Amino acid sequence: MLLYEFEGKELFKKSGINIPESQLISGSGNQLISIKAPLILKAQVLSGKRADSGGIVKVTEIKDLRFKIKELFEKTVNGERVEKILIEEMVEVDKEYYLSFSYSTETRGPVMTFGEGGTGAEGKGAKTISVDPIKGFNGEGLPSELVEEGKKLWQLFIKYDCELAEINPLVIDKNGKIWALDSKIILDDDADFRREEKFPERNLFGRASTEREIEARKIDEGDHKGTAGSVYWDLGGDIAVIAAGGGGSIVNMDALIAYGGKPANYTEHSGNPPREKLKKLTKIVLSKPGLKGCWFVGGTANFTDIYETLMGFVEGLREISPKPTYPIVIRRGGPNDKKAFGELKVIGKKEGFDFHIYGRETPMTSTAKIMVDLAYGKQLSS
Amino acid sequence: MAILVNEKTKVLIQGITGKEGSKVALQMQNYQTKVLAGVTPGKGGQEVHGIPIYNTVSEALENHPGINTSFVAVPNFAAYEAIKEAVEVRIPLINILTEHIPIQDSAKAITLAREAGVRIVGPSSIGIISPGIGKVGSIGGDDPRGVFRKGNVGVISKSGGMASEVSWILTKNGIGQSTVVGIGGDVLVGSSFADLMEDFEKDPQTEAVVLFGEIGGTYEEEAAELIKSGGFTKKAVAFVSGLFAETLPSGTKLGHAGAIVYGEKGSYKSKVNALESAGIKIAKTPDEIPEFLKNT
Repeated sequence: MLLYEFEGKELFKKSGINIPESQLISGSGNQLISIKAPLILKAQVLSGKRADSGGIVKVTEIKDLRFKIKELFEKTVNGERVEKILIEEMVEVDKEYYLSFSYSTETRGPVMTFGEGGTGAEGKGAKTISVDPIKGFNGEGLPSELVEEGKKLWQLFIKYDCELAEINPLVIDKNGKIWALDSKIILDDDADFRREEKFPERNLFGRASTEREIEARKIDEGDHKGTAGSVYWDLGGDIAVIAAGGGGSIVNMDALIAYGGKPANYTEHSGNPPREKLKKLTKIVLSKPGLKGCWFVGGTANFTDIYETLMGFVEGLREISPKPTYPIVIRRGGPNDKKAFGELKVIGKKEGFDFHIYGRETPMTSTAKIMVDLAYGKQLSS
Repeated sequence: MAILVNEKTKVLIQGITGKEGSKVALQMQNYQTKVLAGVTPGKGGQEVHGIPIYNTVSEALENHPGINTSFVAVPNFAAYEAIKEAVEVRIPLINILTEHIPIQDSAKAITLAREAGVRIVGPSSIGIISPGIGKVGSIGGDDPRGVFRKGNVGVISKSGGMASEVSWILTKNGIGQSTVVGIGGDVLVGSSFADLMEDFEKDPQTEAVVLFGEIGGTYEEEAAELIKSGGFTKKAVAFVSGLFAETLPSGTKLGHAGAIVYGEKGSYKSKVNALESAGIKIAKTPDEIPEFLKNT
């Protein structure tokens, strides 16, 4: 989870990293402001490069403050509405640096990145040093005056189970005092179970989660038998997708788009989820108006029961109103697939669903073309 | 010969009394793989499918000194301690099924294993199968015989589902496999494409290798570097998935933890360019792979 600047700075504060005096405001912006001018207004949005998009506003005269706050609240920064503003005292910068800890696939462990020059430095000649995750960070690679800050950031990185802990810029003022002027923290979601600090849900699309996204994520709550819907994104297209497997689902999305299909959503299920989970997921995916097709697709499963998952799909399908008349292309392989296909054929005929069923003998990605042709009214060439 | 899993493989299952552990134990036995013991703290003295259970890894090893492979299927919060136990007694190969291990724990486990000279495959690994010889992990499910066939092509895949799908595509086209390895889709993995390519390079049974990659990280780029430096000289064909993911906002999470792109690094283009510049053919769909193996 990516944290907002103010959330990251709270963690800095708790870890003994010095941050400017600040105040967080939201809503009307009519709160009493205790920070003295000159000050900085910082839009709290998740996208980077806020300064280039007008998300950072300097206020030198206190008489301009109310107007500038109002103006910033009316803005969207990189597509995100500004709902909170962090007001900070101004710091007189003498030297600027970039400092972060993250994980590298090259060293397969944590690394420290340090560079001079602040914003943008991570791309320009900053150096990256491998850190032993067991022994910890000993200050290697940092100038002596920054070693203590480096160690504090490392402690934070480990304590809060971060994927990234970044201070950019890290500055030294004219009196030699060290300040963290911005924060970028990405928390490791897989460590949520042992992190005491909880943060509200957010969405990287720069919009609030849709009702379907919220509902889909609830499916796995409290039931760890397989997953279904814990990753679900609404997209702009008209072909509903119920894909299987974290890897296979992406392969299939690539194929659908390559053949000109417009996906209505992305979602996947894996790890042999029970029938009930597929039923719930199907109801959510197919609740969208204006669908032109539904693609239930997956590779040759190792252990997901194809009969159970497809029967869950059918149970969900039966509850969709009005009854779907668009083509439904199914491609799947794995345990109990033949039993599932036999039953699906009977159900399709009896209940009037436009099923097109393919097993492991048909290439998975070729059913993307079949789906696109059927959905958009082209004749099947075969 | 095959790699990692062969006739001499003797398995310990950590987390054998769990749902996955006990299911996979039976699957491995049914595929002629020797499972000597299991570990679940507090359940020592019991049995699962006739396999004796011990409280600790070292206890299991004292009673079954032939153990040379550990299969880890414990919950994510217990994974680091479990792996540490297996590394400390120097079990040479550890295959980790567990998903959602905190990245900090994976980093520590990989460091410990590296220092001890122990090989980790995973986390989030579907397993390893040497068709006709044996398997470790849930790869191939109850009946791998329908999908995998013994042959000369090694398969390395980030995706577990696609490891089976690609093997099935090969089998269907008359191409058998030497060993198929699911390396897992996490950010940090114990064995990368390049690590396993070095093993396949030495394996006389293997004539070519299929790499099933995905956006995110640098393991595909590392594989390309290995080829350029002469460390891998056999035929290689690759597939890279995730173009779709790049249409979403930077940092959006999809199926696998490792399939995440920030800026240019780890992008589809970066991977395809690196692999192509090393002379590897890139299949546009998984079904093109057999053709490329036959013709290049």
